This record gives sequence, C-alpha cells and structure tokens, in this order.
Amino acid sequence: MNKLGELAKRIGQLVLVLFLVTLLVAFLMRLLPADTVDIMLPGQPEEFKEVIRQELGLDKGFFGYYFQWLTNFVKGDFGSFYFAGGSETVASHLGNALPKSLLLMLYSQIVALAVSIPLGLSSAYRAGTKFDRAVSGTLFTFSSVPSFAIGLILALVVGVKLGWVEPLGYVPMSEGLVEHFKHMVLPVASLSVGLIAAYTRLLRSDVIATLKEDYVTMAASKGLSDRRILWRHVFRPSSITLMTSAALNMGGLIGGAVVIENIFSIQGVGFEIIYALGTRQYVALQSLIALVAVGYVLFNVVVDIASGFVDPRTRERRGLR
Amino acid sequence: MDSVKKSFAFRLTVAWFALIIFFAVFGPLLPLPNWQEVFDDALSVTPLKQGHLLGTDSNGYDILSGIVYGARISLFISFTAVFLGGVIGSAIGISAAYVRGKYDYVVSTLFNVVLSVPNLVLSLALIAVLATNVDPNVPTSTGRRITVLVISLTIVIIPILGRIARAATLSWANREFVLAARSMGSKDRSIIWRHIVPNVLPAIFAVAFLAIGVVIVAEASLSLLGAGVPDGTSWGSMVARGRNDIEFAPHIIIIPLIFIALTVISCNYIGDVIRKQLDQRQAKL
Repeated sequence: MNKLGELAKRIGQLVLVLFLVTLLVAFLMRLLPADTVDIMLPGQPEEFKEVIRQELGLDKGFFGYYFQWLTNFVKGDFGSFYFAGGSETVASHLGNALPKSLLLMLYSQIVALAVSIPLGLSSAYRAGTKFDRAVSGTLFTFSSVPSFAIGLILALVVGVKLGWVEPLGYVPMSEGLVEHFKHMVLPVASLSVGLIAAYTRLLRSDVIATLKEDYVTMAASKGLSDRRILWRHVFRPSSITLMTSAALNMGGLIGGAVVIENIFSIQGVGFEIIYALGTRQYVALQSLIALVAVGYVLFNVVVDIASGFVDPRTRERRGLR
Repeated sequence: MDSVKKSFAFRLTVAWFALIIFFAVFGPLLPLPNWQEVFDDALSVTPLKQGHLLGTDSNGYDILSGIVYGARISLFISFTAVFLGGVIGSAIGISAAYVRGKYDYVVSTLFNVVLSVPNLVLSLALIAVLATNVDPNVPTSTGRRITVLVISLTIVIIPILGRIARAATLSWANREFVLAARSMGSKDRSIIWRHIVPNVLPAIFAVAFLAIGVVIVAEASLSLLGAGVPDGTSWGSMVARGRNDIEFAPHIIIIPLIFIALTVISCNYIGDVIRKQLDQRQAKL
C-alpha cells in the first residue's frame, strides 16, 4: 500500500512538472513583441491570418490557446509550419528528424560508455601512477572543450584535409550500413568526447572509493583475480552512479546535438528547431521545444526507476523516506 | 592546498584569465587596428604575415583585433549573466531554504521546471522570442541582441546557481551556531547575512566560475546557430563567420576556437581549485 502511495505521489509530481514545463514554453512564446500570426505570416491578407488564428485558438486568450494546443499535443498533433502557400505538419517533419537525433545521441552514449568504463576502471586501479595522471589531465582538458569546437576541428582535419570520412549529411541505415556509420563518425565523436571525460572522472573516483571497501579485501583474500574483482565486485555498484550521470549529462547532450546537427547538416530535431526559428514558425517552435523538454523529463524518470531496479539499496532508501 | 596554488598549471590558468580580462578592459588602448577596419591588400593572411600577428580573415579584418574586441563582448555577456543570475538565484535559493514550507516547495518546483528544458534550448527559445522584429526585413540591432542574450542567459543561470545556494543553505541552516544565534535573539535578517551568506558564498563562487564557462560556450553555440551576436562581434560569431572558409583558411576559425576553449578550461580549472579548497575546509570543520 505504502509503495502504491509512493508511486502515485511520484506520478503526480511528474504530471505536474510536465504540465508546468509545457505551460512555461507556451508562456515564452507569448512574450513575442506582436501578435503571433502577424509575425509568422507577414504580408498575408488579414482574412487568411484570422482563419489561422481561429484554427490555432489564438483568439481564445492565453489559457484557451494553451489548452487547445496541449490537447492536440497529447494526441500527437504538434501543429504545423505555415507558409504563404500552405502548411506542413510538424509531425511529418519529426518523422524524418527524430530518428536521426535519437540515433546520434544513442551512438554517442554507447561510444562514451564503451571508452570510459575500461578507462575509468584502469585509471582507478592504477591510481596515482603516470598513466592515471596522464588520463586525468587529458580528460580534464577535453571536458572543457565545447563539442562544437571538437566537431569543427574534426571536420577540418579528418573530413577535409585527410578525406577519410564524409564530413556532411546523413545517410539512413537502409542505404548501407557502412555509409551510415561513415557519416556518423564525426558527429558522434564530437559529442562523446565530453561525455567520456565526465564518465571516466566519475567512475575513477567512485571505483577508488569502492576499492577501499572491506568486501573487496575479502574477495582479494579469497584469491580472486584482480580482473574479476574489478568487473564483478567493484564495477557493478558504480554502474548506478554512471546511469545517474548519464541522465544528468543528457541535457548537455541535447544542447550539444542541436549545434552538432547544424554543423554536420544532419536534419534532426535540433535542425528543425533552428529551421522553425529562422522561418519564424513560433507554433512549431513551441511544440518542438516542449517535445524536447518532455523527452528529457521522461528520460530522467526512466533512469531513476531503472537505477532502483539495479540497486536495491536506493529502492529501500526511497521507501524509508 | 598551497601546492596547488603554486603549481605551474594553476599559475598558467590564472595568467591566461588575467590576459583575457586585460584584453576586455584595456583592449581599445592597445596599438591594434580597429576590429572593423578592412585590409583589402591582405585577405585571409595566415598568422605572423604582413604585420598581422594572428592573420586576417577572408574579409580582411585583423583577427587579433577581433579577438580583443570579442573578449570584451564575450566576457561582458558571460560575467553579467552569471553575476545577475547568481545574485537573483542566490537570493531565491537562500530565502527558500531558510523559510522552508510552501515557499520552498514552489521555488524548488519552479527550479525543476526551468531546469527540465536543456540550457541551450531554453536560451534559444528566449532569444527567438525576445529578439524578434515584427517586420522580417528589419534586422535586430547588435545592441538589442546582446541585451537579449544577457537576459536569456541570466534566466538560464538563475535555477542552476539557485539550486546550489538552496542546497548549501539547507546544510548550514540547522548548525549549532545558527541555533545559538537564534536563541540569543538575533533577527532572521542578521542570521542570514552574518551566518548563512558567508558560509554559502564560497560554494556559489566555485560554481559561478563553472557557470562562466557554460555561458561562454552557450554564447558561442548560439552565435554559431545564428541566434547570437552577428558580424563577428564576439568570439562565437567570429567562428560562425569563418565557417565557410574552413577549407582554405582554417586559421580564421581555429584561432577564436582556441581562445574559447582555453578560457573555458581556465574557468573550470579555477572553479575546481576553489571547490577542492572548500571541501578541505569543510573536512576540517
């Protein structure tokens, strides 16, 4: 019963945050210096603008408009891009854009974890040695270099000067795996460098703390190999910290992806956001930003629940609270 | 701790930071060409050639002058945004943690809501709305763009530093000396100013340095996306302007990129050193 109450409370909080986030985004769009439709469709006949206003519910005051937008948003209708000649739905744009952005971020997370886990474990295992200091120093530097700087320099050196990979564009998997990955190498590399630095530093300090635990001494005294101790006894509890950190870094990754998509001409969600901004499509912009925020919030909730499954300790702690 | 302060890396970091601040403050007094002066006879000159220390870009602008002027704009934007955001955020965070109750609940919920929009996306949205002209043919002036950028980034910083201030205040508000001050009849205002703020400030200060780095990156990213400062006025917009020349004159974007990266590294390093110092002090208590 208690657990159910806890669950209900958390779902209630989640719904409240999602409601307030969408309200915030809708409110932001109302800070425009003039009428939304006037700005979106300059030079169009007044009757046409009036039709659009009614269609969007902009004639019904802020809350009337917000609730109409929210109802549609929940149903999966994210509004449209309007042009002089007609309109295209945001959903149709997203159908193309979303998979690209999701793949980009997924690959970046996978690459970051694949590099930082062995690197973090080995530098913690050899804490204080030259290897450890070299890794820490290099990573500190790289954690501070913005992903767009890495992206631009990689595009220049690897893409243009060496000509090893295609620096621009996106090729879907269906048109050939090799081409797909060739186009993804540079964007993924630019985004994962910062993550690698963050994860490795975290894992290193976490593992150093765990290595001092009694159960590690116990495992060592039973004669288990160092490798087995590191992976089975030390890494496992640290994986929770890594998951939490992955969630924390997601916001930065989303922001980084917006810039990287624009540098490498990948027409993902970030590209659509900039497109909506450039063409003054504030309704589409509102839906896109709300979508990013909702996705970010939900990702954090999923990580939170997942880390509860992996580590029973956090579950208990939450129950006690 | 002193060993860190005397270390070569720390000295180098502080020296770099001092150089950038020197550029920002005394830039106009330096014997450099105007950053908007066009050298027709020297287009895309590589560094150290034809009397241009860092070369020129494809329009014939002197890059060093651009960097010096850009330091002024980039640092002005980041320092102002972090200062304003820090003051407002700390005031909200400290008062929330001190008063607790409903006020605290509302503040933490609002912080969470704002933080659930990724930094860059939030500032993009704010700029998109605030810097828009009704007439699409009239470009927004650079001055207005800088103002809008500062406002947007301040709003982004408020919940970040506000949360830190709130958490730090929570850990100090129930210490014995605060209880003692209260039992001696001190007013809330004097407890906050004399006992809480001095203890919370170092934590905010450490994060503020990291925040300056975050804002410099955000400003550059926004300029790169075309939503920031136009026409090579800041470091970010120098990169944005040089992007098309990346193939034949890469130094045009590499130089501002290096300045951005080294400045952010310095901010993070200084912030890190302050934080470590703080941890040690707290460990001693």
